[in-house]
This record gives sequence, structure tokens and C-alpha cells, in this order.
Amino acid sequence: MATLEFESAYRKPGNTLFQLIVGGEDPFDFWVGRFYVGFFGAVAAVAIFLGVGILFVAVGQYGDWDLLRADIPPPTRAYGLGLAPFLQGGAWQMVVVFATVAFIAWGMREVDICRKLEMGFHVPAMFSLAVSAWLVLQILRPLLMGCWCEGFDLSFTGHLTWVSNTGFRYMNFYLNPFHAYAVLGFFLTAMVLAMHGSAILGTYKTDPNPAVEMRREDTFWRDYVGYSIGEYGIHRLGFYLAVYTLVMSDLCILTSGTLVKDWVDFWHPF
Amino acid sequence: MATIITVNEPIEEPEPDALDYADPLGIRLGQAFRIPWLRELKIDTQVGTIWLGFWGVMSALLFAAGLGVLTLAAFDQANGQPWIIVKYFANLQIAPPEGLGPAPSLRGGGYWQIVMLLWAGSTILWAVRCYERLRRHRWRPFLLFAWLSAVLLTASIWVIHPLLVGSWADAPALGLNGDLDWAQNFSVLWGNFYYNPWHQLAIFFLFGSTMLWGMHGATILATSAEGSHHEDAEIVGLTSGSQKAILFWRWTMGFNAFPKSIHDWLWWFAVGTVLASAIGIVTTGTVTNDWYVWGVDHGTVLQYGPITREAINQHPRPMPDMPASGNAYEPAPGIQ
Repeated sequence: MATLEFESAYRKPGNTLFQLIVGGEDPFDFWVGRFYVGFFGAVAAVAIFLGVGILFVAVGQYGDWDLLRADIPPPTRAYGLGLAPFLQGGAWQMVVVFATVAFIAWGMREVDICRKLEMGFHVPAMFSLAVSAWLVLQILRPLLMGCWCEGFDLSFTGHLTWVSNTGFRYMNFYLNPFHAYAVLGFFLTAMVLAMHGSAILGTYKTDPNPAVEMRREDTFWRDYVGYSIGEYGIHRLGFYLAVYTLVMSDLCILTSGTLVKDWVDFWHPF
Repeated sequence: MATIITVNEPIEEPEPDALDYADPLGIRLGQAFRIPWLRELKIDTQVGTIWLGFWGVMSALLFAAGLGVLTLAAFDQANGQPWIIVKYFANLQIAPPEGLGPAPSLRGGGYWQIVMLLWAGSTILWAVRCYERLRRHRWRPFLLFAWLSAVLLTASIWVIHPLLVGSWADAPALGLNGDLDWAQNFSVLWGNFYYNPWHQLAIFFLFGSTMLWGMHGATILATSAEGSHHEDAEIVGLTSGSQKAILFWRWTMGFNAFPKSIHDWLWWFAVGTVLASAIGIVTTGTVTNDWYVWGVDHGTVLQYGPITREAINQHPRPMPDMPASGNAYEPAPGIQ
């Protein structure tokens, strides 16, 4: 089942970013199975293919195919912001470049799909914010610190160990205020998510008239906590909580090592 | 913003049945009103009313009593001087006692035990209130199970784990830095919590929850012009808004949820977070005393090889900054 029964009405050619920017017709303005391709889809596909290919070549060269042990490390400190030989971090640099291209092209492709469906651009906006976390961690902060070695390993155990080391390196990451605000945001999104999921799963098809179910949701929340944010408002709340969490996460890692070397000492003047 | 409009519409609720007993405190407090300015935030303008109810009132009373004892303890620590409380607010800590018995004195953990008992009662009574209101409004009890799973996590941290390892002192102290210090110390005390696989799973669900809110919130906001936010109605019959929401994800990543199934994903990611966390806490000190060693045994710790100056300079993996000499860490300027 590649297509849904109502899908054909929406599969229209044209109205792409490529047309808007370059002028001519988008040479990739078609679908492959369920997937829309488009110019940016083609770019993303090439970048994903090359990035994953280099990743596999590097893992083969390091010679350890164990899923837990395989690791693509960033360059050593000695290479600073320069290029490194393939096995000394060059593989990491190439994968990061292709991944970054793929992420940005993927976001542009989402914009194309939004334009085709004539809907708002909230999803690509949110996606770019998520990509900003990658850019901050792997490109912006290493640039500010003057060394690509500040990026995290591309692997299962490697990125876990990077997180652990980075936390302890700045003494006590829990005392990083942006980290605390981000954790608060993560916990709040989970709580509000449970509340929203419970409201819909709890009320759907409990009455022949959906309008009654929706009013019942409002009445319940007013009884329970004194306020109901509404069926539209709850999605705004969730959206902005996710935005807040991502911005705080970006700030928390961007300030560590660049502005603040020790989050315990940071509080000393207070 | 100053405008406030009284709401006089009657409250719609299902016909009571035999199980909807008469609650002696069953009243809706005050008068509902609208704050029109809230429309600027695109959220509902009506505030109130709130249902009191026997269980809710009892829960609130226990919570307030706990807050009262906490304030008393803070005054006790600050020798009765409010200014000291304000000045050292973040650092004031009401600590738990050592061992499993009752605390030897109020200051030696008694305050902590009293506050914890009162607040444990408050959370349980709140669950009863949740169930009673859910039943009255004919909701399926998803919200109750979400609340109970959160209660299970707090119980794991404050009750089950301390019981298993034999000391209340393993639970967090009450206080702003008490919380943060507990998170750091608990992680280091039991090896390194990053290598606790349940902690890893919990972080997966937690980040996933934020991601799902980003995806679902964005999708609905982007298509709400065509009514996709009337989710109960969309579950019965799709309008063009939901069709677009479905097709967006189908075209983007080859997979999509539907108006009902997306809320299954949301609910299970949120509840999965607390369930995985609870398992991670309960297995700490029972399954292993050291999650770092557990990680080494199970191959989830990246092996650096011998740590020498040469290895640090030559090894393709980055090492954390180390002092140039092998001597003690030199404190940053400003620390006495």
C-alpha cells in the first residue's frame, strides 16, 4: 500500500523551492514509493550515501565491526582546526560534513513538502532547531574552542563516553544553569505529553458527538487543576516547550569550556 | 489585560450514575471568568472553576502541612532569622537520616521524614482525586496510570531504593542544591550513571518525548487552519487538515501515525521515561554497585587503552584536559 485513498488529490507537480530560487522546473519533482524526492531530497540522498559509505569504510579500516566497540573518533588535539589524515580523524571530519549537508537538505525538502501540501512551516522550523544542536556540538563549539577534537565520537559507546567526560570536565554539569533549565524543559515536555496523550486516548469515541467529548476534556481539566488550555493551546504549549528545551540545550553546551571552565566555581561570586 | 469577564454558562457533564456518590466537599470553587488577553497567546481564555472534592482537599492539606514543616525546618536551620533563609535559599538542605529507623532528632533527619510522609500521602490522595474526576467525566483512566507511573518513580527514589540499600540517606535532601547535588553524587556513588542501561533508555524516551512534542505540536499548528486540532473529531473522520498532516510525514520519512495512534506514541514515550527511570533506580545497589564496572563487563564503555602522556597525544580519540604535571588540580583563581 504505497498510497492512501485520499493521496492522489494531493500529489501535484510544481510549487517547489527549486522553481522559486533557480526558476526552471525541479528535475526531481516526483515520488519514489511513499517518499517525495525533489531537488533537496536528491542532495540529501547523495550526502547520506557518501556519509554512511565513509562511515563504513572507516569502521572497516579500524577493523572492529562490533556494534558497541566500533567508533569514529574526531581528530586528536594536535590537529587543531586543520584537516586530519583519514584514520586520525579525517573520516570523522568527512562524515560530519556530509551529515550536515544531509540535515540541511532534509530540512529544505520538508519546506518543499509543506509548500506542496499548502500547510504551515512549523515542522521544518522545529527541525532546523534540532539541527542547531548538531551544529553547535560538532561545528560551532569546536570552532570556538579552536579544535575539532571537541566534537563527539560517532558511535554508540563513543558518544556516551564523550557525554560522561564532558560533564565531569567542567566539574559538575548539574550546576550549569542552562543545563538545569534544559532538564526542566525535558521533564515538562514529558509531563505535558502524558497529559495530552491521556486526554485524547481517554476521551475519543466516548460519545457519539465529538464536540461533547471535547467540552468534556475542558470540564475535566477545569475541575482537576482549575484551567483548561484548550485543544489548540495545548499544541502551542508543547511546541514552545520543545523550542525552549532545545534553545537551553544549545546554550548549555555552547557556554561550557568557552565562557565557563568550572560550573562549581561559576557560582562562587554568589 | 485588566479586563475580566464573568462566565455564566452552565457546566456540561454526564448524567451521574450509582457510583457517582455524593461528596460532602463536592463543590466547584468560586466563579469562572475570562481573561480576554490570553487570546493573544492563542490559549483558552477561561480560568476556573476548580473542583474541591474530599480527596483533593485532603491532598492539598497534606501538601500544605508538608510545606509548613519544611518552612519550620528552614527557620530552625537559620536560627529563626528570615534573612538567612533568603540569603542561603539555594543551599538550605533538609537532609534524610542515616539507616532505616526513625530519625534520632528533628534536625538529624526527623524533619525530612515528616515532610516525606506528608507528601507521600498527598500524592496518593491526588491519585484518588484523579480517578474520581476521570470516572465522573467518563474518561478512560490513561491519566491515572500516567500519574501512578510518576508516583512509582518518586517512590523508587525516596522509598524503594533506600529500603533496598538500607539507608534513607541515599534519598535526595530537600532543597534546591540538595536536588542537584543528589543527582551528581548518586551518579558517582554508584559508579557512573551514564552507563546504567535503564538510565540510557530513560534518556532515549525523555529526548524522544521532547522530539515527539516538537513533531506533533508543529504538525498540528501547521494544519490547524483546516481543523486538525479537533482531535477527537479527526479520530472519527479525517478532514483535509489531518490528511495533510498524515501525508507530510508519509512523504518525508515513509512512515506516519494517524490522529489516534500518534497519541499512543506520545503517551508511551512519556510513561516509558518514568518507568525506565524507576527500573534504573531500583536496580542500582541491587543488580550492581557500580554501573561503570557493569558497562566495562558488558562492552558499553569505550576503551581508551593505557593512559600515558604519549597515548593522550597520539591516540585518535580525544582525552579530557589533564594538568600538565601529574600533581593535584590547581583551583581556579578566586577559590580560597
